[in-house]
Amino acid sequence: MAPQQSSLEVVGKRLPRVDAGERVTGAAIYPADLTLPGMVHAKMLRSPFAHARIRHIDTSRAEALAGVLAVVTAADFPELPVGATIPMGETGYDMWMVAQVNLARHKAWWVGQPIAAVAAVDVHIAEAALTLIEVDYERLDPVLDIAAAMAPDAPVLHDHVFTKGVEPRPRTPSNICSRTVIARGDTAQGLAEAPATAQIRVTVDTAHQGYLEPQVAVAEVDANGFATVWASTQGQFTAELMIGRMLGLPLSKLKVVPLEVGGAFGGKIAIHGEAIAVRLAQKCRRPVKLVLTREEVLQGGSGPAAGALIDITVGADKEGRLTAIEGTYRMDAGGLPGLSPSLLMQASAALYQCPNLNLQGYDVVTNKPRTEAYRGPGGIQAAFAMEQAMDALCQRLDMDPLEFRRRNASVTGSTMPIGTPFPAIGLTTILERVGAHSCWTDSLPRGRYPRGRGLALGYWRGTSMTSAGHITIAGDGRPMVTMGAVDISGTRTTMAQVVAEEFGLPLEDIHIHTGDTKSVGYSDGAAGSRVARTSTAALVEASRDALGQLRARAAEKLQCAPDQLDYTHGRFQARQLGGAAITLAELMQATLTDGAVVGRGVSTKLPLGVEIGAHVCDVEVDTDTGLVTVLRYTAFQDVGLALNPTAVEGQIAGSVVQGLGWALMEAFDYGPDGRLRNASLLDYRMPTALDVPPIECVIIETPVPNVPYGVRGVGEVPIVPPAAAVANAIARAVGVRILHMPMTPERVLRALKG
Amino acid sequence: MKTLVICAVNGGEHTVLADSRDTLLELLRERIGLTGTKEGCGNGNCGTCTVLVDGAPVNACLMLAQEAPGRDILTIEGLSDGSGGLHPIQQALVEHGGTQCGFCTPGIVLSAKALLDENPSPTPQDIRHAIAGNICRCTGYDKIVEAIAAAAIQARGP
Repeated sequence: MAPQQSSLEVVGKRLPRVDAGERVTGAAIYPADLTLPGMVHAKMLRSPFAHARIRHIDTSRAEALAGVLAVVTAADFPELPVGATIPMGETGYDMWMVAQVNLARHKAWWVGQPIAAVAAVDVHIAEAALTLIEVDYERLDPVLDIAAAMAPDAPVLHDHVFTKGVEPRPRTPSNICSRTVIARGDTAQGLAEAPATAQIRVTVDTAHQGYLEPQVAVAEVDANGFATVWASTQGQFTAELMIGRMLGLPLSKLKVVPLEVGGAFGGKIAIHGEAIAVRLAQKCRRPVKLVLTREEVLQGGSGPAAGALIDITVGADKEGRLTAIEGTYRMDAGGLPGLSPSLLMQASAALYQCPNLNLQGYDVVTNKPRTEAYRGPGGIQAAFAMEQAMDALCQRLDMDPLEFRRRNASVTGSTMPIGTPFPAIGLTTILERVGAHSCWTDSLPRGRYPRGRGLALGYWRGTSMTSAGHITIAGDGRPMVTMGAVDISGTRTTMAQVVAEEFGLPLEDIHIHTGDTKSVGYSDGAAGSRVARTSTAALVEASRDALGQLRARAAEKLQCAPDQLDYTHGRFQARQLGGAAITLAELMQATLTDGAVVGRGVSTKLPLGVEIGAHVCDVEVDTDTGLVTVLRYTAFQDVGLALNPTAVEGQIAGSVVQGLGWALMEAFDYGPDGRLRNASLLDYRMPTALDVPPIECVIIETPVPNVPYGVRGVGEVPIVPPAAAVANAIARAVGVRILHMPMTPERVLRALKG
Repeated sequence: MKTLVICAVNGGEHTVLADSRDTLLELLRERIGLTGTKEGCGNGNCGTCTVLVDGAPVNACLMLAQEAPGRDILTIEGLSDGSGGLHPIQQALVEHGGTQCGFCTPGIVLSAKALLDENPSPTPQDIRHAIAGNICRCTGYDKIVEAIAAAAIQARGP
């Protein structure tokens, strides 16, 4: 199934992105670049309060303003019941939540939650109209941090939320939406018997995905009521399901066209305003454009990443073999119920074999923006706790942290936290490679301030779900690929490489594009490290389907049986008949009027391609200011097979730098009223080129069995270890553990002063 | 209030009816239709809207359209010669994998051009300094730095 790497001609090569030319010239079109004839502009009114009941909304004065064409509130949309879902993965996606995120109806749960929207002939009039909308709020007490929200006397955000996963069902509503337990063995005994234990509690502040392109939607409704939405989305089909459900619009009356995406990282799975733009367009019969400002993106108009409060206790015997892992993970969902913490809990413990395991997770609501996925969601938070606890345990044992990982490493066939055996994994190889690399063997150069070296591991499971695509053979014999995958990570390029490989053609012969929701088969979004793997499977199938049809035509043309033809490099050749041959170009020219050749492929249940990485970093800690400088950073990762090593390195390095940003500088700063105090990119600082060192990527390839080309997920796991790697390096530099992320100079200095 | 603004963009003269509130970014994107310059934050913190004004990198969101007359403005659309050939900085970004989502790329290209016009032999640290006003959230910066260094070598010639 996985071809020998040495025989590959296009897959695995460092080829430039097929769409790079459009990007470097500014020709690539993002939704904000779109202007339609007669287009008008929308703005949203947002809640000024972190927790309030909405008693009444009066939009009459706004509607009366000259230049205003339409105003909408939640009353313009059908009310979805609690529990409404749209299809996604095994559990579906909470549509009631999506509706509230887009427009509050009875209550507002965070500052910045949308309340109403206006369409007007220009942005300035739309903004003026917002000030004329009168909202009667009943203010309620907000609760902003996880521990306070879990307290029995906390203000309750949702009357219908009773903690799931607790038997018997609680009688009173709570801010704890769910409890998840993953356990085996007896951790109390495992800890009691352990000669060495380590216990830590970490706090992680809410942060943002930080995509540079704010959310934008452009909507148009034609005379027959057919709506088209041009979107910046990770998944056009998920967006379509969400928009259709919010509006009560049948899917045959709606099309979502995915344009270029200016960064997403999990934050553009759910819709933010797309359905509102459609409703406004329906009302005013003009195309509508809605562009969020950066302040809106940060202040509550998009879902940031969850903060966390995590306790970990680990124990080991004298040989450094783990005897118990205990963890309590409390994740801040923001104002509406979030995801089960199951995946992040599993991820943090997956790479360690331990007989006694007890992990408990809580999904907690607070009066902050409803959080959304951010690259391996919850992984970095959980690793910040677990990998520090493991490092502290190594210090207790006086054991080399790499040797400790070797002794406890999960291998192929080991038990995963949920009890099933691991498929082929390359953790042992990764640890060997770390041990042999200069990043680990070089002694730390001395500096002005104390320096330290940290190691941390990362695991992410990813998902598979559905990908589809089809390949039409053009009249000149070249494959024209339409795929369902949105390109947020170089997918067009890697998938063109796969098709080129299958056809034995050069990359430049492949034309590839992402289809809209009415021109390609249903595909799940680009998320969960799934899109390259599953699109590869779908397009391998589509390629082979098309080549089969071409073979039948070639056989007819050359008057031989199809199995008497050899195919290589765009040419069929008969094994007999004097070796008569026909190229794809000749074949299509000769048979163009016989009808289209269309190969179809779909992947629905591909085996997982779990991701594992190990990161090593050197830091210097300025003991006068608390500033931590990352001097050197090396990321080792098993990628199965690197479809395009340049693209893989780009994913890894970008992901690491996002992790370093959260590790050291990025945090939402909320006032006591729940207002975000740093809603700009000046005050919410992300790493610049001067803040981070070069990131060295070491690619390891352990193919996934029964998956075309053996590809693993790539993009998520590299964000998992960085905060822990930095924290472990700081601990080894200055002897104190920083337990609050981001590890800002202020926090480091406070820890140094005890 | 709307007034006519006469300005030189990418070597051509434009006469545009602009609102007194318009920024240079709005002038370029909304009035002239040059959408290659992107808006990431609207208040000068991300560098996405970088253009060259009289050769110097400027956040177009922080300059008023009314300040444009008399200045020589270069946007990403003005960098290639129009025959399909790329500027060496653009070519190097393509070859080195220096563009991912592409949203920061036009701004990075112009910051890099301003650097290389001043300093044809920059060190990696010079390059990082020159693009420190341009946030990139995708690449981690290494491949951008490598590309600009390669473009500098290319531009200096053998």
